[in-house]
Amino acid sequence: MILQIFAALTGSLGFGIMFHVKGPKLAVIAAGGAACWIFYLCAMQWQDSQIIAFFLSALITAVLAELLARRLKAPVPTLLMPMLIPLVPGSDLYYTAIAFVGNDMAQFVSFGERLVKESGAMSFGVLVAAGIAQIVIQAQRRFRIYRTEGNCRKPRD
Amino acid sequence: MQSNEELLCCILDMGEVLLTAGAEVSRVEDTAVRIARAYGFVRTDIVTITECIMITVRAADGQILTQVRRITHRQNDMWRIEAVNALSREVCAAPLPLAELERRLRVIIETPSNPPAAALLAYLLAAGSFTVFFGGSLRDCIASMLCSAILYAIDRSGIRIRLQPFVRTVASSAALSLSAVLLVRLGLGEAADKVIIGNIMILIPGLALVTSLRDLISGDVISGLLGASEAVLRAAAIAAGCALVLMYTGGAV
Repeated sequence: MILQIFAALTGSLGFGIMFHVKGPKLAVIAAGGAACWIFYLCAMQWQDSQIIAFFLSALITAVLAELLARRLKAPVPTLLMPMLIPLVPGSDLYYTAIAFVGNDMAQFVSFGERLVKESGAMSFGVLVAAGIAQIVIQAQRRFRIYRTEGNCRKPRD
Repeated sequence: MQSNEELLCCILDMGEVLLTAGAEVSRVEDTAVRIARAYGFVRTDIVTITECIMITVRAADGQILTQVRRITHRQNDMWRIEAVNALSREVCAAPLPLAELERRLRVIIETPSNPPAAALLAYLLAAGSFTVFFGGSLRDCIASMLCSAILYAIDRSGIRIRLQPFVRTVASSAALSLSAVLLVRLGLGEAADKVIIGNIMILIPGLALVTSLRDLISGDVISGLLGASEAVLRAAAIAAGCALVLMYTGGAV
């Protein structure tokens, strides 16, 4: 389990480098990737549906990424995608393809179902987090407009 | 009004850099609108759909200009997004002279993407880590790193000869499966599936999916759906590449 968390950390770091992220953000990404998997493991302890654990972990990680991105003045996807990478169901994709080639329809359906459910849960977590972020930002912006009318506002991060 | 046209072209350049580097549609449009406003255009209408940007601006003297930009290739590069973001923030605070803006933008465009060594390191790190993550042993990890070096070479040459992204994905995925199977046959790796999965993680279009999801939530439905379906097709292409090789080598290696 510790090994897996560590692998999530270095894996996220790898993706950070791959997407040409520079400087201290790489450290944030690495920590975020490990945190993402820790959230998943915690969610699995708390209840036993893998799908819900995927959703919760994606949601918390995505909210974290949105917050951190604004704090660091970085574009959100910069942090979001490398941090979420441990949740990407690459193994299910592989086993689905293998079952299909091996003409094992029972396996194909079961892995295919997991693939769809897990990627759906992850996507839904990202969507909800983006929705939450949008609500918060719009609310903040309203306040700011009331306080300082006019001039070109700072572009969003 | 030569300069207005050049300025608009420059704004489109910025949009193009953002879009090709993998930014969300809303960011592209937001940046363009803000910069146009900062340079005194009274009205800006912009439509961005995954592969093109259309923009019409109205200058203070009533002149109306329209330009269209077609986007052909993409290369995820977060540094470029950040650099254009920083530039646009600066321009919004105090508009730079046009020549200066062009120069700054050219610097961003001409700065090479990841140097090969860093990109290769990223591939090795990602593939090795995810092989271990999904339960591979140390030997699998090493095999996976070798595989990812091959994957990197194939991917790069695919980009260089301008292969279509889907063809490139199938070719890369087939090459990595083949090399994984060979490495296991040679006795380096223990479990071909773990080696392949570690490398598949590199190919999976996660960034495209995340970006298109964020497009959806910010109301850019067309781009969001196009991006999401492209991500699904890419995943299918990966599966097809693996299947192509494993059909001959036997499913359970």
